[in-house]
Amino acid sequence: MLLEVKNLDAGYGYLQILRSVSLNIDKGEYVCIVGPNGAGKSTTMKTIAGLISPMGGGIIFNGEDITGLSASQITKKGISFVSEEMNLFVNMSVRENLYMGAYIIKDKKIQNERLDFVFSLFPRLAERKDQLAGTMSGGERKMLAIGRGMMSDPKLLLVDEPSFGLAPQLVANVFESLDVLKDQGVTIMLVEQNVTKTLAVTDRGYILENGKIGLQGASCDLADDPHVRKVFLGV
Amino acid sequence: MSNNIVSKFLNWMKSAAGFSITATIVIAVLASIASGPYLLVNTIVTGGMLALVATGLTLMLGVLNIAMFAHGEFFMIGSLTAYYVFTPISNYIGENPESFIAVIGPLIAMAGAAIVGAISGIVAEKLVFGPLRKRSTDNWVMNSFLLTVGLSMLLINLHQLIFGADFKGIVGYWTGMPVSIADVFISRDRAMAFVIAVIVVSLFWFFMTYTRTGMAIRAVSQDITGAQIVGIDIEKIVLLTISLACALSAVAGGSLLFMYPSYPTVGLEPLYLAWFVVILSGLGNILGAVAGAFMVALLKVITVEYIGAGWDFVVPSALIMLILIFKPSGIFGSDVRGALDK
Repeated sequence: MLLEVKNLDAGYGYLQILRSVSLNIDKGEYVCIVGPNGAGKSTTMKTIAGLISPMGGGIIFNGEDITGLSASQITKKGISFVSEEMNLFVNMSVRENLYMGAYIIKDKKIQNERLDFVFSLFPRLAERKDQLAGTMSGGERKMLAIGRGMMSDPKLLLVDEPSFGLAPQLVANVFESLDVLKDQGVTIMLVEQNVTKTLAVTDRGYILENGKIGLQGASCDLADDPHVRKVFLGV
Repeated sequence: MSNNIVSKFLNWMKSAAGFSITATIVIAVLASIASGPYLLVNTIVTGGMLALVATGLTLMLGVLNIAMFAHGEFFMIGSLTAYYVFTPISNYIGENPESFIAVIGPLIAMAGAAIVGAISGIVAEKLVFGPLRKRSTDNWVMNSFLLTVGLSMLLINLHQLIFGADFKGIVGYWTGMPVSIADVFISRDRAMAFVIAVIVVSLFWFFMTYTRTGMAIRAVSQDITGAQIVGIDIEKIVLLTISLACALSAVAGGSLLFMYPSYPTVGLEPLYLAWFVVILSGLGNILGAVAGAFMVALLKVITVEYIGAGWDFVVPSALIMLILIFKPSGIFGSDVRGALDK
């Protein structure tokens, strides 16, 4: 098992959001967490990425306990987080942003290999490598954020709401690029509000409601589940 | 091709940055023709040193979000260190004027100032800013600003308590005939102060633009969460930034010791001038801070020359008010708040 989250409690300040969330991912899997607004999807991601320290429970990655480590230490262990806000370095060029993504890799040669890989994944970024990240369109920024997440050659890629604020055509692009990554053997954990689309592309899913895991199972089963259909798909 | 460059240049001239830089150069040249080239020399020497203090200030503001009002005290620490390092060296030079120490002695004093400045920056972070950062995230700008004012008073009074309130100065760093450039005589100390400022600022700019660590510092200033995500250790970068910023200020203090002898409040004037620079050029922009430093220096020199020495803070302050009203982000300021450009 690549990632195992056991009875995780987390929140902001005195406000607890997650209550005993448990989930796991095997190597090479494409897993999603779906759920309504405010269910705690992003909180789960941020806690795994180390941006929020957990109140209770444990996170085991690659056989190692990473509970309570700082975000930079967790990145060094091989988890890469693509946040909803993207958190790009807006006054840096695309190339500089990508190099920063490979900050934990000290070898310049490997950095350049990763850069070529990301450029082959997103040729659009190669075209715009000298443009400032802050001047790019929403879709391009999303690509850059995912590309930057891939630069560190992560064992696990956490992607938070990649379709947020994007035009439908661009959403399709983002999902395509995630498919390509999956085919490359990258383990991906995806958080999305676009339930239909997400359950169609992922292998397995967790339904998060009010900070608890409601349902879990293969994505195709979840898509057929009457409760899911009623609550999320409105049918 | 050349047409393209010309049109680009004209466009640049129309921007606030291009216009103000060109205006500065034109005014500097005209004033030197009217009143003598020493105006230009004074502007360049003052501007070079101001650039050092202002880049440090810009760094603190851009990366750590601290409105640093204790930066002048690191200038004071630098000049104090340089005084105590250089006094024995200068006695030695007096006995052996031919020794090579006469050439590198002043550099040792300035390096000492930089090292002590960096260390005191780290101490300030460990004792003052670090504990505050752990305790309060709300209202950080205001709280840290108040802390810097307190730190400033503490350091000024510590200086007075331990070293006394008298002027601790030196006759000069490098002895010998002044350098003559185009019939203007510049004392060796002044020329060297400018050269040192140029070297330090260029090295610093190179470091920020091309090295991995420099890029990490900029990354932290632009998006701290993004920086954490890519694996940058924020605490290390914070320590490095504070020590760098304080070392820059201390080097300025050290290399200007021949002009400003060390005394408790020696840092206040460079501090205010550096704040003028930062507000004028915009927050968090290194090259802008350098250009702004020369503008403020010119403004000060011209005010002293044509209006009177008592007015040298009035005119820049008035200009700052105008700038804050009409272009709050500063002449070179990025619209992206808190972002540190190259």
